[in-house]
Amino acid sequence: MIRRIWTTALIITLTVLLAGLAAPVLAQEGGGQPVIAPAPQPLTIYTRYPSLEIAVGDSVSLDLVLQAGTAQVVNLDVKDLPEDWTATFRGGGKVIHSVYVSPDEEAKVTLRLELPSDVQADTYHFTIVGQGDERATLPIELTVAEKLPPSLEFEVELPTLRGTTNTTFRYNATLRNKGDEDLSVNLIADAPAEFQVTFKLSGQEVTSIPIGANESKRLTIEARPFIEVEAGTYAINVTAQGGEAQASVALSAEVTGQPDLTVTTPDGRLSAQIRTGKQTPLQIIIQNDGTAPARDVQMSATTPSGWKVEFDQETIPEIPAGQQVQVTANVQPADQALSGDYVLTIRAKPEGGSSESAEFRITVLTSTMWGIVGVIIIAVAVAVVGLAVSSFGRR
Amino acid sequence: MPQSDVTREREGSPWTGLWAVVAKEMADHLTSVRMLILEVLILLTATGTVYAATQNIRNTGNDKFIFLKLFTTSQDPIPAFVGFLGFLVPLTAIALAFDAVNGEFNQRTLSRVLAQPIYRDALLFGKFLAGLFTLALVLTTIWLLIIGLGILRLGIPPSGEEVARGLWFLLLTIFYGGIWLALAMVFSIVFRQPATAALASIAVWLFFTVFWGIISDLLAQTIHPIRIGLPEEQLAQMQLALALTRISPNTLYLEAIIATLNPTIRSLGFVLPMQLQGALLGAPLPLGQSLMLSWPNLTGLVAATILLFALGYVLFQRQEVRA
Repeated sequence: MIRRIWTTALIITLTVLLAGLAAPVLAQEGGGQPVIAPAPQPLTIYTRYPSLEIAVGDSVSLDLVLQAGTAQVVNLDVKDLPEDWTATFRGGGKVIHSVYVSPDEEAKVTLRLELPSDVQADTYHFTIVGQGDERATLPIELTVAEKLPPSLEFEVELPTLRGTTNTTFRYNATLRNKGDEDLSVNLIADAPAEFQVTFKLSGQEVTSIPIGANESKRLTIEARPFIEVEAGTYAINVTAQGGEAQASVALSAEVTGQPDLTVTTPDGRLSAQIRTGKQTPLQIIIQNDGTAPARDVQMSATTPSGWKVEFDQETIPEIPAGQQVQVTANVQPADQALSGDYVLTIRAKPEGGSSESAEFRITVLTSTMWGIVGVIIIAVAVAVVGLAVSSFGRR
Repeated sequence: MPQSDVTREREGSPWTGLWAVVAKEMADHLTSVRMLILEVLILLTATGTVYAATQNIRNTGNDKFIFLKLFTTSQDPIPAFVGFLGFLVPLTAIALAFDAVNGEFNQRTLSRVLAQPIYRDALLFGKFLAGLFTLALVLTTIWLLIIGLGILRLGIPPSGEEVARGLWFLLLTIFYGGIWLALAMVFSIVFRQPATAALASIAVWLFFTVFWGIISDLLAQTIHPIRIGLPEEQLAQMQLALALTRISPNTLYLEAIIATLNPTIRSLGFVLPMQLQGALLGAPLPLGQSLMLSWPNLTGLVAATILLFALGYVLFQRQEVRA
């Protein structure tokens, strides 16, 4: 009897179970929405980049996300943290130790790591642990890389230039920051006293330039002789200094001598008086104040129309530096030249140099011949009167 | 030696009594009402033009030859002083001489004068010199008046060069007057009526002032006609016209005073662009060169004065005076 009761009970149970199993199926067929309670999600901690690399001296921030199936308060901790490292969790702008995680909302927490300054370059492992009703872990791999030391490199395309005393020596240089740090670089020139050195970056004069990590900048170094420097080779040392890094380059400027002519007269007076129709000599002095002899100096003149200027020396073979040569210019004004002032330009041009000139103010005086003719005319008129008196005079 | 020459030979200098004639004539001129009217006229002109000129100079500011500008600056509606002189000087000169000889005839005083130990030569020359001296006296007074007014109004003394140029200008003006004086004297010998002589003198003056410019243009066009239109032809015509206008004493005088009073004037004729190349424009000419520029004009004025006097002299000597 009892066996029958157990059997019956089993059958009922099975039926109930079957019915229980069949019910969703039936219901599904009937078009109703099934309501299945999801399996509760376990507590999870994750970050988007769990393995990262930083440089010595940097600090790290990790953005953590927490998810859980059931609402709970999760205590946060970091396990296996290397010695002297500090880790703080931050949320809502404050330092936190735990976070409340609800099933329908994920919690966001920031982990900030402070590394000691003497940290060794290595790969470090540690784990973030969240302990609430459940326990979740997140292993993190952090590689600390050694930083490149700051270093500068200075390159000049043409370090030796040649020019005259009037030349501005222009060196094109490239300054490269090979380090990983941005630097502010001071530019220093060590040049002879006769030179003025300036640095130019895109046309602007600079003494200090910022230069980013692994960047390079093109500089122009300009060296201008101050005064009449003597011919020779001058060394200019240029140094770029930024932080502990330093780079220097040696430049050299080769100054060749140059003739410098001046056109003047023995007494320095650039004016003269000249009569029409007469050739008048004009003494001219060609002086070489330069540092090299002037060779094959060509004399020429720009005259008013119809004037003639002849030099006793059309070409002067050589004027040594610091010497002068006297030239006579025979000036004859045009026959129809008006009396008064005219401008006459006298030029001296050395071979391969620029021409130098002086403007003379020539006062043209007309011939006094007509004045004498006038006097003669008046004398004739007086003679006519005298003749009339002697031939018509009567008592 | 022929007999006729011997009879003509005379005793003593022909200039005996010259200075007596000059003194008497000048006294007559300076006390005459005619002179007074002219003096007042010139005085008014001088004061008016200088006042206007100083007003203008004060406004326009500095110049190296500020005193010369007193003579040449005009301020509307008053023309410059030199513009007035162009007709006031001939007028004065004609007024001084148009009745010099025929007046003596009409008053029957000529034979009385010549009864004195004075040659005819001395009489005519004395009359001419007296006229010239009177003119010079009047012009010098006005010149001094202008310089004085200029110093008062401008507050600076004239420089040496300005004085030299001013004196040269005065000399030119006196000889310009001399021409008209000699001309009026010739007419006073030719015509017995003083009115006719005055009219004839003024007619000649008007002819040269108004008509001679037109006539010289026409003459130049006839003598050097422009056939093709070459620049040479035009230049030849213009140069001939200029040369012909220079026969007129007015042109001679005005050119000469322009060259004297304006130091920047470098030529009185045509200037080709070629001549101006390289020239410093506006630079004043040295005094000597400016005088040289106006020297031919002065020569012309002086020579014309002397020749006109010679003409008058010959006519007078051949005249019958015992009328």
